[in-house]
Amino acid sequence: MGLLTILKKMKHKEREMRLLMLGLDNAGKTTILKKFNGEDVSTISPTLGFNIKTLEHKGLKLNIWDVGGQKSLRSYWRNYFESTDGLVWVVDSADRLRLEDCRQELSSLLQEERLSGATLLVFANKQDLPGSLNKETIREALGLDDIKTHHWCIIGCSAVTGENLLTGVDWLLDDIAARVFTAD
Amino acid sequence: MDVKERNLLGGGENIVEMVDLDEENFAVSNSSDSDAAFDAVIGSIEDIIMEDDFQHMQQSFMEKHYLEFDDSEENKLTYTPIFNEYIELLEKQLEQQLMERIPGFNMSTFTQLLKQHKDEVSGDIFDMLLTFTDFMAFKEMFIDYRAEREGRGLDLSDGLVVRSLSSTSSKSITSRTTTKLK
Repeated sequence: MGLLTILKKMKHKEREMRLLMLGLDNAGKTTILKKFNGEDVSTISPTLGFNIKTLEHKGLKLNIWDVGGQKSLRSYWRNYFESTDGLVWVVDSADRLRLEDCRQELSSLLQEERLSGATLLVFANKQDLPGSLNKETIREALGLDDIKTHHWCIIGCSAVTGENLLTGVDWLLDDIAARVFTAD
Repeated sequence: MDVKERNLLGGGENIVEMVDLDEENFAVSNSSDSDAAFDAVIGSIEDIIMEDDFQHMQQSFMEKHYLEFDDSEENKLTYTPIFNEYIELLEKQLEQQLMERIPGFNMSTFTQLLKQHKDEVSGDIFDMLLTFTDFMAFKEMFIDYRAEREGRGLDLSDGLVVRSLSSTSSKSITSRTTTKLK
């Protein structure tokens, strides 16, 4: 590790957190990011690269990274694991057909060494859509109760209405703060 | 720089000794040697970054990659490996230059020292070094470079337009010049 990398790691963690938002394509990651940032969410096209937002929340500086979820892009996710404090896994609760795909992708992420220190927040998104599965069903389908390696929580939300986004992020930040700042 | 200072920054065998000095006798005289050595390196880093060589290196890196960067909000996945390459390039240059300037300089010894001086690590020079590692700053630098580069491109095409009209305008230019000369 070179000088700049070491410096960056040293200065990180001072009231600053890095969140990585992943999930299958069309789960609503970018919509969540923009809604949370107070931006217009009426015209959002599929993400082919990645988005970054830096925002202040509860006296913390949040760096939120949102990487495209199409199958061909998933092998690039690994380039964004480094220094992640919180992993936000976004699920399209109305996409019943791909729940198994969704479970497998999440499960392989949780085996990643560089994400081993991250808290997991699962957003069961699109609760506003008729026919969407509730968070208990998603919890079961993703086998969340089997996760022993990470702190986790599932929240039903709607990126379009903004419902519960704050609840989820607040839980995530509290959990990270309890781990990180007491460890220091 | 005296011999003591050099030893502090020297080869790996001095690491343990240096850590001892700092932990046990930090308030005593030895700490000032360590501080002086630390300050000397920081001073050199400042010099290196400000020098033409360093700026040229950044310039040619941007020249090589700027066409990949667009002024759109979403980032391309290809930015990331370019960013990593950039960090690596700067780190290598810094290390190499420090080794040339400070006899016996050792980067891993220095980064140890850096961690001990953690609370003093602030100010312009560190802000600048940290900006190098900031992805958004990196992206902006490229977008600015591209805008500037393509702004100049427009000037060039203006020049071409003038030349293409030269068959009709050349006479008047020539006559004007001639008039002036007379």
